[in-house]
Amino acid sequence: MFFRNLTLFRFPTTLDFSQLDSLLAEVPLKPVGALELSSRGFVSPFGRDSEELSHRIGDSLWLTVGGEDRLLPAAVVNDLLGKKLAEIEQKEGRKPGGRTRKRIKEDLVHELLPRAFVRPSRTDALLDLEHGFVAVDSSSRKSAENVVSEIRHAMGSFPALPLNAEVAPRSILTGWIAGEPLPEGLALGEECEMKDAMDGGAVVKCQNQDLQSDEIAKHLEAGKQVTKLALTLDDHLSFVLGEDLIIRKLKFLDGAVDQLENTEREDLRAELDARFALMSGEVKRLFVVLEAALKLSKAEA
Amino acid sequence: MVTLTLEQGRQIDIKRVRDPRAKRIKLSVDERGARLTLPTRASLVSGDRFLLQHHQWLLAQLEIYTGQDALPVLVRETTAALPLRGESVPLLWHEGRYARLSRSEQALHFHAPARASDATLRRALREFYEAEARADIGRWLPKYLPSLPRAPTRLRLKVMSSQWGSLSPDGSLALDLALVLGRESAFEYVLVHELCHLLHADHSRNFWREVEARFPAWRSEREYFHAEGRRLKGSLRTLLSGQATDAT
Repeated sequence: MFFRNLTLFRFPTTLDFSQLDSLLAEVPLKPVGALELSSRGFVSPFGRDSEELSHRIGDSLWLTVGGEDRLLPAAVVNDLLGKKLAEIEQKEGRKPGGRTRKRIKEDLVHELLPRAFVRPSRTDALLDLEHGFVAVDSSSRKSAENVVSEIRHAMGSFPALPLNAEVAPRSILTGWIAGEPLPEGLALGEECEMKDAMDGGAVVKCQNQDLQSDEIAKHLEAGKQVTKLALTLDDHLSFVLGEDLIIRKLKFLDGAVDQLENTEREDLRAELDARFALMSGEVKRLFVVLEAALKLSKAEA
Repeated sequence: MVTLTLEQGRQIDIKRVRDPRAKRIKLSVDERGARLTLPTRASLVSGDRFLLQHHQWLLAQLEIYTGQDALPVLVRETTAALPLRGESVPLLWHEGRYARLSRSEQALHFHAPARASDATLRRALREFYEAEARADIGRWLPKYLPSLPRAPTRLRLKVMSSQWGSLSPDGSLALDLALVLGRESAFEYVLVHELCHLLHADHSRNFWREVEARFPAWRSEREYFHAEGRRLKGSLRTLLSGQATDAT
């Protein structure tokens, strides 16, 4: 259940979340209809069998957007369409026109959709009401935006802004490798991506590499800049921060997870509750560090 | 490119482009030089004839552009000032481990390794401008958010050729990077203008009413763009392309 990626947005801390549960109850995930391609809605963070649609510990809120998508590969439709058209051509001696083609295709989709597989999905989001940020467990900006717009849909208004860094992220990341002091708590990992300044220029990606070695220094001298950088936070978290401000490969290290294993939990729910408490605390700490380092703009005046 | 040779032996290079949307032959001049636009079906000969016919006008227009101040260029250890927020800010050069441009109270500081290419310097400059622009936007945006139906989904700074900003139907907001070179109030006006498109996706009366309510002095900013806009866009272009454009 630990988030593996974080795409962040900011919202004003003045937003009122007191009515949230009743609002979420109005937009739960509905099973995808026989002739629908997909459906989205809120599900319980504790799994689809549970009742509550959100979970709150202190200032941290856990929401889950569930989805059901019908899998109907275009190749399947086109293959059947081809066969049908060939059949008609045989019978009538001429190729059917564009309009007939379109109609036959629609009929086929209608026929196939109810038989298509339904793929369930879920995307989790962590809302921190103290600092005003949403962390969506996705590295895709698009699916993160979808989660935010689901929240907006539920709440009526949800002015969430994508992160806005008031410094150039590339130059900050490059500086950290080039020997500028890192913010308190952060340490370099062993992975990075460097790019030439020219668009379409050279790209160097390295893993398990000492980032303060001579090889890296040579790349810096040649003018390459860091676009992705592995970092750790106090031996609790490791992650890769990109110039797009998306946090990938987020892992909770022993320093953090050890706190969990000391206690025995009787059921899954209590286990998830403890994990969420741990995760929200760590993500909050990470956000505070990054907010200062990257000068992230606030969403309220 | 066509070259027009005049009586005194003077030569003018004119860029010739075909534009399928063009209705008629058009001759235009801006800080990038002269340009002859031909509709798809016009012949090259008719274009040349048009050029000869109007060469007096062309000379007069080029005269106006040569009279203007030269645009700034980025040259290592030579460029002594950069445009920022409507002012020319002194620039100091330093040797550094990686290319970066930072701002102190009175001046800008460019740190660059000895081997850094021009492309590296230009990239650092572009990133500096983008960060400065984002700092301004971060300051202004929260003020306007509460009265809008939704927030922009994405915020990008691009080098745009004729627009100053745009808002796509999915709510992604794009602004011209050259805005940060001009005065701050003009930049803020463009931001407000684009944000108001979240309310009305057109330029109707209702739209302008919303702009007026949030930014009453928008007319003077529009005049500023009419007077200074070309120079701002030209400055950014020469700074980031590394080539000084010459009108003649």
